[in-house]
Amino acid sequence: MYSDRRAFLALSGSALAAIWLAADPEEVRAALRHAQSAASRSPNAWQYLTPEQAADVEAIASQIIPTDDTPGAKEAGVVYFADQSLATWAAAQREPFTSGLNDLNQQVARRSPGTTRFAALPAGQQTALLHEVEKTPFFQMMRAMTFQGFFGNPEYGGNRDKAGWRLIGFDDRYAWQPPFGDYDAEVVTGGRQ
Amino acid sequence: MRPSAISHQPSAISHQPSVSHRSFLGAGRLQHRGVRFSTQETVDFVIVGSGAAGGIIAKELSTAGLKVVVLEQGPWLKQEDFRHDEVDVIFRNGLSNDPAKTHVTFRKTEQEEAKEGAGQFIYHRLVGGGSVCFTANYWRLHEVDFIERSKLGTVAGSGLVDWPIRYQDLEPYYTRAEWELGVSGQAGASPFDPPRSRPYPLPPMPVKSSGVLFERAAKKLGLHPFPAPMAIISQPYRGRTPCQHCGYCLGFGCEYGAKSSTLFTTIPTAVATGKCEIRSESYARKIEVNDRGRVTGVVYFDRDKVEQFQPARAVVVCCNGSETPRLLLMSQSNLFPNGLANSSGVVGKYLMFNGYSANSGVFEGQLNEYKSIMTTRILHDFYESDPKRGFYGGGGIDARFMAYPVLWALGGLPKDGPQWGLEYKHMLRDYYTHVMNVDGHTTSLPVETNSISLDPTVKDAWGLPAMRVTYRDHPDDIATMKFFQARCREILEAAGAKKMWSEPVKEQNFAAHLLGTCRMGDDPKSSVIDRYHRAHDVRNLFIADGSSMVTGGRGQPTATIQALAFRAGESIAGFARRNEM
Repeated sequence: MYSDRRAFLALSGSALAAIWLAADPEEVRAALRHAQSAASRSPNAWQYLTPEQAADVEAIASQIIPTDDTPGAKEAGVVYFADQSLATWAAAQREPFTSGLNDLNQQVARRSPGTTRFAALPAGQQTALLHEVEKTPFFQMMRAMTFQGFFGNPEYGGNRDKAGWRLIGFDDRYAWQPPFGDYDAEVVTGGRQ
Repeated sequence: MRPSAISHQPSAISHQPSVSHRSFLGAGRLQHRGVRFSTQETVDFVIVGSGAAGGIIAKELSTAGLKVVVLEQGPWLKQEDFRHDEVDVIFRNGLSNDPAKTHVTFRKTEQEEAKEGAGQFIYHRLVGGGSVCFTANYWRLHEVDFIERSKLGTVAGSGLVDWPIRYQDLEPYYTRAEWELGVSGQAGASPFDPPRSRPYPLPPMPVKSSGVLFERAAKKLGLHPFPAPMAIISQPYRGRTPCQHCGYCLGFGCEYGAKSSTLFTTIPTAVATGKCEIRSESYARKIEVNDRGRVTGVVYFDRDKVEQFQPARAVVVCCNGSETPRLLLMSQSNLFPNGLANSSGVVGKYLMFNGYSANSGVFEGQLNEYKSIMTTRILHDFYESDPKRGFYGGGGIDARFMAYPVLWALGGLPKDGPQWGLEYKHMLRDYYTHVMNVDGHTTSLPVETNSISLDPTVKDAWGLPAMRVTYRDHPDDIATMKFFQARCREILEAAGAKKMWSEPVKEQNFAAHLLGTCRMGDDPKSSVIDRYHRAHDVRNLFIADGSSMVTGGRGQPTATIQALAFRAGESIAGFARRNEM
């Protein structure tokens, strides 16, 4: 019984891993292509953010968790998490969010005359600016919001297709039997097996 | 049980959730079960708090035939209300005190002005209290915990004293707690364990990869690892479903009912007597006294913030080491101008957090620590204070799960590297299923100036004085944390960690253990309650919870809180029966 279950779990586990690893990045991108960029959405798409704020949030979140061969904050819909949170349970954060983003955009304007929004900066300048402000409460807030949106339950609007959980290998099955990992699979001790 | 990563998160979204949007939890919170008493009727007991201690005393008194009303701040949730939602439970305070409503201020010394947001102190607000949400580590104190003052002498800058009771006095009640609630473990597995009258009722939980690595490494170092005793049932027990290894213990309620909280054990028994009403969403604000100095009942806010008064022959306070002293201090009267039962001036003082040291290691193979319970192997080789170290202190070490995805991403990786960007993303990707922690759980000395008091200016959402925490670790507590950090790192290294990092040891401004604030003692001048949990100053007032503890143990206080509760419940039922109140 025990070894059957073990074998089954080993198989199902590796199968899941294989599906993810085998996925062609281009296929992943194609699957995500329908997710339009935040800025091009109509104003009605947002519960709280303005389209300009949404574009900035998405740009900041994409710096925090960039997209490479796996989805980043953009594909995971972190900006939708931010919008939904600020519209509802994180309403107390609206003021610090708005004033923090305004401050950041003022720095953008000083840095690149003619540019008024963070999202409009070239990527390299975005990175440089965020390094300058990474100790500020606003950046720390955006960082926390990004990780909550990337790794929180998808019902909050982020972590789309469980992109955050897939990245780190977290499987939301919430019911398991031993062995749980490689090292306890090597021995049978302590348990009731 | 300090959830290590929680303490390191930045004060972003987590600290100031909106008060206007309720948590997703609590769909069934308005459904009442069992008997109801009128506020016109004088019941035998009001118990304030339904948690680790109150939930047990409710059962002890009601099964003795006494009429009991339990006032609980939080909602009465059902098993199916508990969900795996990290954003809600950890970041929206779904089950715990919400700093946006129950404000807390913090300062390190009495000279400073305490500020909101300067510290984080977690206790739980729901029927079953912290017993629903704790990690379920279930360590007994050892014989030495009760007599360290006589054994070691005074420790400068501390109020270290012996307990008025000994391990032998408490042993039968540890055993009752383990059997009535359901604890999994292996008796005799640790050479340092104190004597016990019965084995654990259930075999240990299955070992995890962290436990295997920890056990191998510790043995290589000549240490004595053993299966962690856990208040989680490894097999069906008294009609309850065993653990399904979902991985969501720390901070969460168990949707299988496998964690042995009072919500799933003693409270249903109490309700089934027809003598005990659990009155949830009822927030006590004052214990009333008559002109003879006896308590007459409790004033509380109901769920609509309307003030009510429940008269009773006696009151038992079980609100955690945080809210218990606060309630006593708020219960000032002409007879008790410094707060109820506070002629000693000791109410709120000698607060203890327990020390902690967190150390992570990354391994070649997959551990998948997010599955199953938090910890399966521990060791007590450094439990006792050793004068050769040059400072007071001791503790235990465990191998444990690091944190849930969001918490881990926010605070689980090394602080000296990048905290965002592609490299950070790759660390998240590469480490999560390969990481484990080896953590130290250590002593806090009782220091008189470490305290819970009433904030002079900040009020909570009910207009009551906010809780003010004053706390600075004793230098020996810091030295102990550093000593344990070094031992933990040796274990990680011996286990073959290919990368390792530690949280720097620093003075704590975070706690989930709030202990010692109404300490037990024989002398009414230096303690709040006697050895039977009766307030020295008030014959019909009893206090039993983490506040009763004279010393803080080695970081896992719940077993002791619950053993004390079984013993207190038995004593108090006897006083009621013999009309000695």
